[in-house]
Formats: sequence, structure tokens, C-alpha cells
Amino acid sequence: MKIKRSGPSGSNIGTAAIISLWLAGATCLAQDKFPVRPIDIVTHASPGGGTDATARAVVRGARVALDVNMAVLPRTGGGGVVAMTYVNNRPRDGHTVLAITPTHLFAIARGQGPLSIDDLVGVARATDDAIVVMVRGDSEVQTLAELIQLGREQPIKWGTTQIGGVDHIAGAILAQLAETQLSVVPFSGGGEIVTNLMGGSIDAAGLNLTEALGQIERGDFRALAVMADERLSILSDVPTTVELGYDVVFSTVRGYIVLNGTPENRIEILERGLLESMQQPAYHAYLEGSGLEASESIAGREEWDRQIRRLYNDARAAMIDLGIIEQN
Amino acid sequence: MDLSLEYALPVLTDPIVIGLIVAGTVMGVVIGALPGLSSSMGVALLLPFSLYLEPIPAIALLSALYCAGTFGGSITAILINAPGAPPAVATAFDGYPMATKGEAGRALGIAAVSSASGGILSVLVLLFAAPLLAQVAYSFGPPEYFALGVFALSMLASISGEAPLKNLIGGCLGLLIATVGIDLTTGVERFTFGVPELYEGIQFIPVLIGLFAVTELLNQAQELGRERIAVTVSALKLPSLDDFRRVKNTILRSSCIGIFVGVLPAEGSTMAAMVGYNEAKRWSKTPDDFGKGAIEGVAGPEAANNAATGGAMVPTLALGIPGSATAAVILGGLQVQGLRPGPYLFEEQPGLLYGIFFAMLLANILFLFIGLLGAKVFSRISLVPRTFLWPTVFALCFVGAYGLNQSMVDVWIMIISGLVGFVLKKNGFGPAPIIMGVVLGGLVETSLAQSMIIFDQQWTGFLSRPITLSLLVLAVISLIGGKIRSVLRRLLSRTNRTA
Repeated sequence: MKIKRSGPSGSNIGTAAIISLWLAGATCLAQDKFPVRPIDIVTHASPGGGTDATARAVVRGARVALDVNMAVLPRTGGGGVVAMTYVNNRPRDGHTVLAITPTHLFAIARGQGPLSIDDLVGVARATDDAIVVMVRGDSEVQTLAELIQLGREQPIKWGTTQIGGVDHIAGAILAQLAETQLSVVPFSGGGEIVTNLMGGSIDAAGLNLTEALGQIERGDFRALAVMADERLSILSDVPTTVELGYDVVFSTVRGYIVLNGTPENRIEILERGLLESMQQPAYHAYLEGSGLEASESIAGREEWDRQIRRLYNDARAAMIDLGIIEQN
Repeated sequence: MDLSLEYALPVLTDPIVIGLIVAGTVMGVVIGALPGLSSSMGVALLLPFSLYLEPIPAIALLSALYCAGTFGGSITAILINAPGAPPAVATAFDGYPMATKGEAGRALGIAAVSSASGGILSVLVLLFAAPLLAQVAYSFGPPEYFALGVFALSMLASISGEAPLKNLIGGCLGLLIATVGIDLTTGVERFTFGVPELYEGIQFIPVLIGLFAVTELLNQAQELGRERIAVTVSALKLPSLDDFRRVKNTILRSSCIGIFVGVLPAEGSTMAAMVGYNEAKRWSKTPDDFGKGAIEGVAGPEAANNAATGGAMVPTLALGIPGSATAAVILGGLQVQGLRPGPYLFEEQPGLLYGIFFAMLLANILFLFIGLLGAKVFSRISLVPRTFLWPTVFALCFVGAYGLNQSMVDVWIMIISGLVGFVLKKNGFGPAPIIMGVVLGGLVETSLAQSMIIFDQQWTGFLSRPITLSLLVLAVISLIGGKIRSVLRRLLSRTNRTA
């Protein structure tokens, strides 16, 4: 620090200098020292579910990578609204991370909860579980085109997990683009859809790959199309919806976000820590156990953030079309 | 399935595995017994810890906890009318009246033996018939669930000793509670009043704690001034051999029910216990004793809820489809370990089957001993003066209701349920029909709506499914069977007279 010749007395200058030095040091310290407290990963799912299991698998390595204690904090209820409300009431200092799925984005699109889409800042994606259109293995339907044709004669009984959920929206958009008809049968989980598709109560479903990989491999189910831009390595002979001429790209993604206003450098530290954890063999083994390919699931901030916005916009447009929400 | 000992021995003789099974069993009994903490939550709490273990010890620990946790709930259900976990709810119907009569030890002993018998039978079925039984899961669609729910509800009017009309009113209240939340088939919010915590419906556990424990607390508080008939040391007496002979058939019947309901995806021990209780009453020669302390009323639900643990593991392991809420957590545990449950699991990991099988078998045997030896100790709780016992129970209730989701909404639900339950009890309404309505309401409503979509809104569709049709016919018989029998008898006596 330069001391001016004319000015307040020397001792004052000295104090100011010390204070400003101390301040500078503190800011510098704050920048270097993140995280200083344990980091909470807030989930909306009860312990034991997929979101919870994924978060725990990530936290296992992230603790080491970020050198801080981390906890998975379930704030269940309200289809993610309770978790979003909780995170909204926490300081935006990077110590609170929210695990999100399409459920959260759809809740925001419906206007539920305190957050808007601009509040979300993607950090990293942990899983990308594409939705696969499938029918029973002994079905006469061999291709997506045949299924679409069938639906024009008589509505396809389409199993979904939830009205307004990702697989419902995905099926509805596909039906709209392909000018075919769906009769939506909602169930409370993927397992129920699998048993009912197997048992013949429904004709087709858009299940996550991980929910029915065993059935596909055994030939119980026939995969007709993957709702993705590119083919999946594990189902390399199954075409994508995009290839077939329908721009319907949906998947059940699980990833982590912080709220807008969190310091930029902290987001970077978090991204680095989470990605490092996801590259550990233990996390890869977890993905493999679920039937996912690490390179297709794990993604950094940029790709994940773009996907969040795309999913949100597609879902919002579809909900307006379906009359679930009004345009305003 | 390859049953060679080559894979079994390393598991059976591993001291770490055995140690973890013992630990899982003890923890399970404690977690099960504490109101508000159920086996599914216990398994979920242990899941992160199990990540640091090898797959087989990890799954052995979780499955042992699952079995023991399902039994543990009966201890508090019998002693303080606070079912420690949802599957034990039907055990309180007769278990607590037994304890108040001074037969706590007898009830606990019956519960332990019934639970272990049901559990062991189901584990044997899991080992030998899993792939075969798993196919049952596929033949159960929404119409079948609807018929099963209707069949179970057909006992509603007679479930407790109160007047049938009061039982029906209580059942309707339960059905009404079950309608809260976002409707699955329409996506419309019902009775949520904009409270996000209610979007997914009213949680079962706070209602349960309120209706049973808080109601009983208020009830006891009223009688503090009065002299209580001293419960003698007979409370510590274990059941006699005669008792076991009496409940033998109930245990066998309930075990079959439990295994069957357990195999069905999504339905677990609570539903099994409810159906087990209903059938124990239906087949009993003295159905009027139920609700007043009948030992069959303890054996019925206890054998069924533990039999459902082995049953629930069948689709979980053989198909990768969870057979119950706890099985879903165990399934998650397998996946975190990098294992993919499904048809190939046993071929790829033959040791794993033995790990699970052995853990569940040993857990059942262990908690039988804990239950029988502990019965003498636990039953002393019924000798503790009420002025000490009930305030403690009250504190436990709050912790249980809050701990579920760390939500004050759940605590309010518990308090309101307790007050409502108290007023109802004073007017001759029992908790059993309400609980039955809550457990079955959502299932019946949702599966009806799903069935109608599947049948293109044609009611006749129900007649085209054999399982559905037979269950519905059984339900009708159970509703009007008594009437038909008396009409027939009258006709018969008339023809006899004219002859």
C-alpha cells in the first residue's frame, strides 16, 4: 500500500492499511476456503428410492474429493415442492445443493413452489436414464411405426407413472406429433408398469431403460424406440425417436443444482468435486448395476444446465398443449 | 437354481456375516418396536453404512433387519397399544386387550412364535419356489387388486365387536382420509388446502400413532383417579402348549396369505396382516371374542406380516420389481452395490441367494428367542404405573411422528387423529375399521379407476378375468353368506315340517 505524503495522520493511515489488508485477506481466505461447513444434498425422495440411492453413491466419493462432510437430507413431499421451499430458505452460499429430477422442473412449470426456472443453476448430472418405448415381446408390433398405426385404429393403452409426469408428457407429445391416440393408464411406479405390461393390461409404455433392462435382454419386452438424440450403447440396434422423425427427447435425469446467486467460484469447486466423485470406480459400479453407461450419464455443468432448460421448455409447451396449464 | 453347498458354505461360516445378522436382528427388533420407526426406515438408515461392506454381508444385514423389524412392531402394539410399525397395526386389535387383561406375556409369546413360523415358511418358499411364484406377480393387474381390496373390505362391517353400522361409518372415515392428496388417475389435488405436505396424501404412521397410542393415552388420563385392578404376575406367563395347538391352523393359513400378498408387487406386510386378521376371524369358531383379546387375533396378523417378508423378496430378487416398500429399499441397496436384481442375479451371484436366505432364516430364529426370552422382561412394562408409562409413551409418539419426515404437519395429523379417535371411542367406534379404510381405500379407488381405463369404461370387463371374478364372488358370499345360510335353514326346516 502506498502512503500519500499529504493526508491524515500516519497512525490513521496505518490503521486503514491494516484494516484493508485484513479485509483483503479475509475475502481471499473466503475464496480459498470453500466449503467451510458440511454440505447438504437435499433430496425430495424418501430414503431408499432412486434419487436417494444416487445421491448417496455420489456423496461417498464427493466427501473425499471436496474434503468436507456431506449429508443427504430428505425433504419429502409435494412432488419436490417441500425440498425446493427448504433450499429457497437457505443461504445461497454453495453449502446447500438440491438434487433435481424432471419432477421438479414440471412442478415449476405448473407454477408450484417458490422457484422459477431462472433460479436454477446446474452443477453436474449424475444419471441420464432415457425413456424407451416398449411393448411385450410376443406383441405383433415390431416397430414404432406399427405401434403408431395401431393407435390410429384404436387408442394405445399407455402405462405412465403419474399424470403430468415425464413419461406421460413424453408419450403425449409423441402421440401428437405422430397423429395417433393414447389412452393413458397411470400407475404409481415403474415396477407396476413392468408387471402390467407383462400381464397384458396395457399395450405399451415409455419406461426408463433401467426399469426394464432385464425384461428387454430376456426378450420379454421389445424396445421400439429410445427417446434420445443418439442411440444408447447398450441398445445399439434400437432406433431413436429423432432418427424416426419425431423430435421427442425425454429422459429421467438426476442431477444437482444450486440457486442463482451462489458465488461463481464455489459452483466451480462443487462441479469439480461432484464430477471427481462420479469418476470413481464405486460410482461407475453403481451406474452399471442400474444398467447405465457412465459416459452417457455423467455430465458437467454446461451440458446439464442446457438440458434442464430444454426439458423445462419442452414440458411447458406440452403442458399448454395438453391443457394441464394455461399460457400466460 | 443351483443349490450346491459350494456357494453356501463360505456364507454360512463367515463370522462377519453372522455377526452382522445378529446385529441386524437386534436393531430390527428395537427399530420395529419404536413407534414411528418402521423396518423400511431402518433399512434406509442402514443403507449408507452398508455401502462400506461387501455385497453379501451388506444384503444379509439389511434382510435380517427387515425380518426382525416386522416382528418388533408387535411388542409395543401389545404392551402400550402403540403399533411400532404399520404391519403391527392389526396385532394391537387383540394384543392390547390381552395385555390389559394381564396376559401380556402370553400375547408376546404367541406373537413371537407366529411371526417366526410365518417368516421361516416364507423363506423356504423363497428359496425353492421363487422363479415359479414370481410369475404370480404378472397375473395381478389393477382389476385383480381391486377385487382383492373389495374382498378385504367385505369384512369391514364385522371387523370389531362394535355395531356393524358404526364399523361402516368408521370405515368410511378411513376411506375419506385415504382420498387426501393428488389423485393418481386424474392428477387433481383433493383436500390438500394448498399444503404441499399433503400433496402425496396423509401419512399412515402419524394417523396410526394418533388413533392408537394418543387415543389410549387420553383414555387412561380419564381413569387416573380410579383404582386399577392390579395386573398380577400372570402378565409374565408365557403361552401354554395348548395355546399353540389352538393357533396352529391360524398360523398356517395366515402364512399362506402373507406369502401370497407379499409376492404381489407394491403390497406388503400391512395389507397381509389385515387380510390375515380378517381370515382368522372369519374361520374362528368364536368370532365374537375378537377385539377382546383372542389369541388367534394376535397369531393371524403376526404370522401373515412376517410371511410377507419372504414373499416380498420373491419378485424383488427374481424380477427386480419390489414386493414391498422395504424390499424396494433393499433393491436400491443391491443396485448401489453394483448388482442388478432380475432373472440373471442368481446365476451371476449364487452366493448372494444364500446370503439373503441364510440371513432371513437366522433372523427369524434369533428374534424368536429374543421374543420368547424377552417376553418375560418386556411384559413388565404392563406393570409400570400409568402415571410414568403414558407420559413416556406420549413423548415417544411425538418423536415418532416428527422423525418420519421431520415435518410438523405429521405431528399435527397425529394429534388430530388422537383427539378424533378419543371422541369416537367414547361413542363406541373402534379404530380397526378406520385403519382398514385408510389401508385399503387408496388401493380400491385407484385400481378401480385404472381398471375402467383398461376396460374402456365397460364394467363387464371385470367378469372376463377369472381371478377378479372369483375374488369378487368370494366377497359377495362373505357379505350375504350369513343371510343365505339362515334363509336356507328356514326353508329346510319348513320342508322338513311339511314332509
